Amino acid sequence: MNIVVCVKQVPDSTEVKINPETGHLIRAGVPSIINPYDHFALQSALELKKKHNFRVTVVSMGPPQAKSVVQMGMALGADEGILLSDMAFAGSDTWSTSYALAKAVKKIGKTDMIFCGMQAIDGDTAQTGPGVAQQLGMPQVTFCEHVDVDGRRIIARKLIDGGHEIVEARPPVLLTMIMHKDYVPRYPSFLAVNASLKKPFHTWSASDIGAEAQFLGLKGSPTQVDKIYPPPQREKAAMFSGSGQEGMAKILQIMKSEHFLDE
Amino acid sequence: MASMDTISRNLMLDSLREYAKRRIPFDLIRELDEKNEFPTEILKEMYDRDTLGVHLLMIPEEYGGVSGGTFDIYRICEALARIDLGIATGVFATFLGTDPLNVGGTEEQKEKWLKRIASENLLVAYGATEPDAGSDLVNLRTRAEHVVKNGKIAGYRITGNKQWISNGGVADMHTILALAPGGPSWFIVEKHMEGFSANKHEDKHGIRLSNTAGLSLDNVYVPAENLIGMEEGKGLLQAQAVFGYTRVMVAAFGLGAGAEAMEHAIRYSQQRIQGGGPLSEKQGYTHKLIVPNYVRLEGARSYIEYTALRLDSGEHGLQTEGAIAKYGASEWGNKAADDAIQALGGYGYTKDFPVEKIKRDIKITCIYEGTSEVLEMTIYRGRWQEHLKSRGRYYLDMADRLDEVHAKEPKAGAHAAALGLRALAAVLEECRVQKLTRHQHVTFTLGRLICAAETAAVFSTAAAAQKYSETVRFDREGWQAMARVFAREAALKTALEGLALVLGSADAAVNLSDAVNMEAIQAEQKGMIADMDLVAQKLKQTFKAK
Amino acid sequence: MIEVSNKCIGCNKCVPVCPFTAINMVDKKAVMNEACTLCGVCVQICPVQAITITREEASARDLSGYRGVWVYVELSETGDKAHPKKTKQVTFELLSAGRRLADELGEDLCAVLLTDKNHNYEKELGAYGADKVYMVEHDELFEYNTDIFSTVIVSLVTRHKPSIMLYGATIQGRDLAPRVASTLYVGLTADCTALAIKDGLLLQSRPAFGGNIMADILAPRSRPQMSTVRPNVMKMNEPVLGRSALVVREAAKLDKSLRRVKVLERKISHDQGGVKIENAGIIVSGGRGMKTREKFKQLEELSKLLGGVVGASRAAVDLGFKEKAHQVGQSGTTVSPKLYLSFGISGAVQHIVGMKASDVIVAVNKDASAPIFNVAKYGIVGDVHEIVPKLIEALKKAK
Repeated sequence: MNIVVCVKQVPDSTEVKINPETGHLIRAGVPSIINPYDHFALQSALELKKKHNFRVTVVSMGPPQAKSVVQMGMALGADEGILLSDMAFAGSDTWSTSYALAKAVKKIGKTDMIFCGMQAIDGDTAQTGPGVAQQLGMPQVTFCEHVDVDGRRIIARKLIDGGHEIVEARPPVLLTMIMHKDYVPRYPSFLAVNASLKKPFHTWSASDIGAEAQFLGLKGSPTQVDKIYPPPQREKAAMFSGSGQEGMAKILQIMKSEHFLDE
Repeated sequence: MASMDTISRNLMLDSLREYAKRRIPFDLIRELDEKNEFPTEILKEMYDRDTLGVHLLMIPEEYGGVSGGTFDIYRICEALARIDLGIATGVFATFLGTDPLNVGGTEEQKEKWLKRIASENLLVAYGATEPDAGSDLVNLRTRAEHVVKNGKIAGYRITGNKQWISNGGVADMHTILALAPGGPSWFIVEKHMEGFSANKHEDKHGIRLSNTAGLSLDNVYVPAENLIGMEEGKGLLQAQAVFGYTRVMVAAFGLGAGAEAMEHAIRYSQQRIQGGGPLSEKQGYTHKLIVPNYVRLEGARSYIEYTALRLDSGEHGLQTEGAIAKYGASEWGNKAADDAIQALGGYGYTKDFPVEKIKRDIKITCIYEGTSEVLEMTIYRGRWQEHLKSRGRYYLDMADRLDEVHAKEPKAGAHAAALGLRALAAVLEECRVQKLTRHQHVTFTLGRLICAAETAAVFSTAAAAQKYSETVRFDREGWQAMARVFAREAALKTALEGLALVLGSADAAVNLSDAVNMEAIQAEQKGMIADMDLVAQKLKQTFKAK
Repeated sequence: MIEVSNKCIGCNKCVPVCPFTAINMVDKKAVMNEACTLCGVCVQICPVQAITITREEASARDLSGYRGVWVYVELSETGDKAHPKKTKQVTFELLSAGRRLADELGEDLCAVLLTDKNHNYEKELGAYGADKVYMVEHDELFEYNTDIFSTVIVSLVTRHKPSIMLYGATIQGRDLAPRVASTLYVGLTADCTALAIKDGLLLQSRPAFGGNIMADILAPRSRPQMSTVRPNVMKMNEPVLGRSALVVREAAKLDKSLRRVKVLERKISHDQGGVKIENAGIIVSGGRGMKTREKFKQLEELSKLLGGVVGASRAAVDLGFKEKAHQVGQSGTTVSPKLYLSFGISGAVQHIVGMKASDVIVAVNKDASAPIFNVAKYGIVGDVHEIVPKLIEALKKAK
């Protein structure tokens, strides 16, 4: 089978800074990482590759430096890497991003499984994976913890609200991955990084994948950002004093007003 | 070797950091530090080619390595130092021990030994230092005698003692410097050879996770093919050839450990409330304990990168540059770590927070691979020659180039750096005229002044450049403010201390005060506080409280 | 729009590949029915390039006919004859928020209900504000399935043209909504925490970058404007008993073959016991000020009453009041519960770094200058040994 893994380079959210005056993100000096859910998706795909000798292609969309996450995928074992990079993609929302990724998958050729992270930690939308599936007319299984392949049967363990399901699908199918609790992310050895430079890597533009400009970027994105601002600052503590009965009553009142207790 | 592309280098750095995050938590480091214990298992894992393979950086691709260049090795050494300087030293010792082979080994020797180091994950030690021969290798006592069979030299018998050898007690193979009949030469000695033994592991002030031991060689027989380069008497040259390079590595240690301590302090200062506000908002705290230290470390970084890039472009030697890089980074790193303890107050003095250990560890960077004093002498010697050779133009020409930089980009402190260089030229010339370098104190002090003035020049040039290095974590506004702060401080110190130095050793120095242009240097101090405020602000943004 | 040109040779290749059985052969020519989602599989497979999909240029769309605020009704995962599926609380939260929006726009609020069997759901939906319920009752809707549910929603939206549609940002909502948005080429904003009307448009506010920033999002050129909305954020209105919604029954042709992903097994875990401290919603934490191990135990009782987990400062752990696994802070665990109740913790830096991301911090300490009050939302200066027992007593009484 042929597997495509979609990965995204994101700023390390633990290091993100905000300009307090403008509310804009300060990207300078913030390290970029592979989106952790995509990392898990990649590892899940590579485990299947190991077991069944599947072919794995890593795709990302982003500026030229996003090559990093593609190369990392190859260093961890993927066979081929593709970066969609073009000014025309800039400002794409989840709809336009799914459109471009779907076009790229079509260009890659016959694809039996697509792995995505459940969401990216910079946007937290969880919309791109299902969007790609829809554009390609594939079924989707979202929020998976584990995926197994048995012949033409694809068996996934997925989360649902309040529990989980074991589901079965046939290729082609798109899966979005959450991280299961015992997961240990792997990173490539120095040798593997060096060797990844010799694997096939392509940078594709919008015209390379036959994506139409009217569906890309700010112009093609149905949603637009109206305003970005820092979350409301925590105000100074509201202070009360009072021991015993008084203090207890105050705490109960606070918990009610904050909806932790019924009125 | 040229360095690799940025993306590959950063992937390796990420792998190293993630490994450390998972396998070397601070609690473990603390425990090993307490027990004075070398983490054999961790080092073996870090050398494991499927896990990390850090040692492969030093080994060319054709022998199974990844052909790292100086810039790559600087970045990895900095990252290692941020994890633990003891572990970093364990890796560094292998780098260093591999060096004589890289530099002087024959093709067959490289084929055999470099391949083995790469594939068998061998820990290597570099055996040069002896009880009576430290930075000064002239008093080498260890001897290698010929063993002749059938009229041919079949091998050598080595006898002697080595001291303070990093990895000494744990290495699988050693490169040992010994005096052969033809002169000092490097030999490959394996740990299982008869007559070879390691002494007990030293109880050190810091880098307690690194193994340091003396070595005893009692009539150890090594075959002739273990003589590196297959020619006697090349040992000192082979050792000298890599000083520029190895000192960049130790410079990266000083930088990494010092910056790590500072970043702890910066994050801490945003949470610690004193007198109604966080410490990070108080000039009495930031402008004393944080800003000057961080600025100096950024200066050291730019000088390290300047040297590394020159080495990567194929220049050889660069002994003076290597000395400046290491001297600046280790001395400033040491000071930064000390101030980081102060910045954390009582917490800093406990073993609960890592700065106390960093302070103990980082001291070694002022000692090994050439003590700070040896480096002061090396820097002075190298540049004094340039001063004489150019008839006093060396620093004046450099200052002229800084003026050009300033004309294009006036915000990078290049003007202050140029003033500092001209003051330095004036001081050197006065020392020549009055023959003051007969005082050793004068020469060593000049070494120190040269380091700061040249670093200012390199820092300002880098801060004026269109494109910044991948390592700069600040925006243009912030980094240029740092360069200005550095250049002003360096210029003022060069002029003040240079003047004091001459006045203290000569009968008179009539025109020197004018020659160092004290007035202009003082005028250049304008805006210093505002710049420090800005730097404090940028540091807080970049290293926000976790 | 999907079109089949007269290049079509009637080869029949597209019919079996259509995931939505939306293609019929009529007079040796492919004809798409209403199940078509414009997914494009047939375009790829067609050997003579007879099928084309043209998307309307966004700016050229006519948005005037779109009216009404829709809420997707989410039912619980399991049910049986005796215990029918229940409407999830997030639905009522969405109806409450949607009511405000609909009133401001002067439009109807409609609930969209897909089920195999109606159990008078319209009563509750009406009580929480729905004017209408678009109801599709069909055997194939017995459980949630992406393909089937998205097909039905797409056809309803196409038919009735709402201007706004809201889903819960639950696993189901976040599976369904992007599929619908992608099909219709409309804007969708994920995980909203506030909704408002700005110049007639839906203004959607949401946190991004792990809560480091907030963004306001608009979708001005497409309809419906769709959002998934985070549960437990929108305030629920009081239900108006007896206010019922008008039921509009909608038909759907649903074929078994639409179900491309099959459920083999389902487990719903009601067990909330053994929650780990890093995932806890409520943490009751104590420090040195609890004085003894015995007194610290009161916090366990308190925490049980609140459905929380016990945390401890390093001092408390060092003094043996609590196991290390419960330690919050630099050398312990970093937590971000909805409620962090701290008792007798002064707030050393190493503790604060581990808990300051909590939504609401209530701190009790007898020292008014304790640093914990710098990060708390509410500070109570008082004696924990008097307050804690009284609090336990009061909560027990309330149960």
